[in-house]
Amino acid sequence: MNAYKFLRSDGTGVFTRFAWPLPGDEPGAWVETTPDPCRAGIHACRPSDLPYWAGRALYEIELSGDIVAHETKVVAPRGRLLRRIDAWNDAFRATYTRHCADRAHEIARENGIERWEEVIEPSIPEGPALLGFVAARIAEEAGGVDAYHAERARQADWLAAQLGLV
Amino acid sequence: MADHEHISCQEVVELVTDYLDQSLPPDDASLFEQHINFCDGCDWYLDQMRTTISTVGRITEEEVPPETRKKLLTAFREWKRT
Amino acid sequence: MTEAGLQDRTAAEETELLARLRAGDERAFETLVERHYPTMLAVARHYVKTRAVAEEVVQEAWLGVLKGIDRFEGRSSLRTWILRILVNTAKTRGAREARSVPFASLAPEDDEPAVEPGRFRGADDPFPGHWRAYPGNWQRQPDEALADRETLDVVLATIHELPAPQRIVITMRDIQGCDSEEVCEALDVSEGNQRVLLHRARSKVRSALEGHLDG
Repeated sequence: MNAYKFLRSDGTGVFTRFAWPLPGDEPGAWVETTPDPCRAGIHACRPSDLPYWAGRALYEIELSGDIVAHETKVVAPRGRLLRRIDAWNDAFRATYTRHCADRAHEIARENGIERWEEVIEPSIPEGPALLGFVAARIAEEAGGVDAYHAERARQADWLAAQLGLV
Repeated sequence: MADHEHISCQEVVELVTDYLDQSLPPDDASLFEQHINFCDGCDWYLDQMRTTISTVGRITEEEVPPETRKKLLTAFREWKRT
Repeated sequence: MTEAGLQDRTAAEETELLARLRAGDERAFETLVERHYPTMLAVARHYVKTRAVAEEVVQEAWLGVLKGIDRFEGRSSLRTWILRILVNTAKTRGAREARSVPFASLAPEDDEPAVEPGRFRGADDPFPGHWRAYPGNWQRQPDEALADRETLDVVLATIHELPAPQRIVITMRDIQGCDSEEVCEALDVSEGNQRVLLHRARSKVRSALEGHLDG
């Protein structure tokens, strides 16, 4: 199965700081983990998961072995990076951040939740992960947990269309 | 925490020890990581906690008192003989 | 080095020390004593009334270790096994002294927030529970600031002022490198309680460091 994975700018895991074999003309080398369905394993994103994990660098990853689906990620024992998604660069991140900020204002205004207005613009320097959360969080204030996920789904659709993801 | 789709910074600082011990249930660990991913403040707090732990680890400990050391060595030599 | 790597190295060292000890190597014995003394004393201190008695307990425990060393099968780590002997010795001695304070008081009582609640936004704010102002980014601290004598003294002083249960747990976990299981066995405390104690201890030390570094 193919999926997506965010890494730090230097190609290391966001939480593990594991140094991934990066793809060039060829895919990167396979990485194996010891099977432990709840903990160890390679975490990756389906397109619907991307908004939750927005990071610095985005890669397409091939996963193999028994793949376990969780709410906002999939976990596999084996994986290798296929290619970097170059379209996910700093300029795009800024565009996406702006998009989420505009959505956040829109939802706040539509629902009369003015008190959230004051945190939207100041959050922009922190980037897409935060603004994606803010927009969804405001949606949740307006319409509950379902609205939170609906806004996240909207973000995922927007990203998939912009990045040309399958 | 399963009711919520996210955790606050105030909750994060209480979960740090569980997270580092890998004793958070997987769903909670996922929420924790999502939060760290978007919140610089908590990312820095987690880093502060890691730094705290490694700094504590640098403490060298109290020495064995000379009397105790002597007694124990004597006992050891006794034991060796038997 | 990863935590797992550190534990592997410790295990390999202990295997070597054990072999040398059984062969009668005095230096190996001294090394073991030095290595485990602070933890053994701290744990013993938890079960008996005075430091003097705790010292006697530690010495007695080492006799027990020597007596039993040929029978040690390596099913647990050497340290776990030594601590078990220590705890049994301490409990016996503590019972004889009829120590009145039960060590079940290791169970955490009230709430003790890791960070003052005032540092987070209130329920009526947007972003309830979010930091009002972010804590410092210590990656920007010069390395020397974290390694210097003053910093270590702050940490030491904070640890000394911790309530005994928190002090023992952070000493065993973060200074001695014991794992959860060893701490729980040694102190006869649940894993959950052990973690709460560790959490509170670490939070206090972090706070003290923050005061020292960020001014």
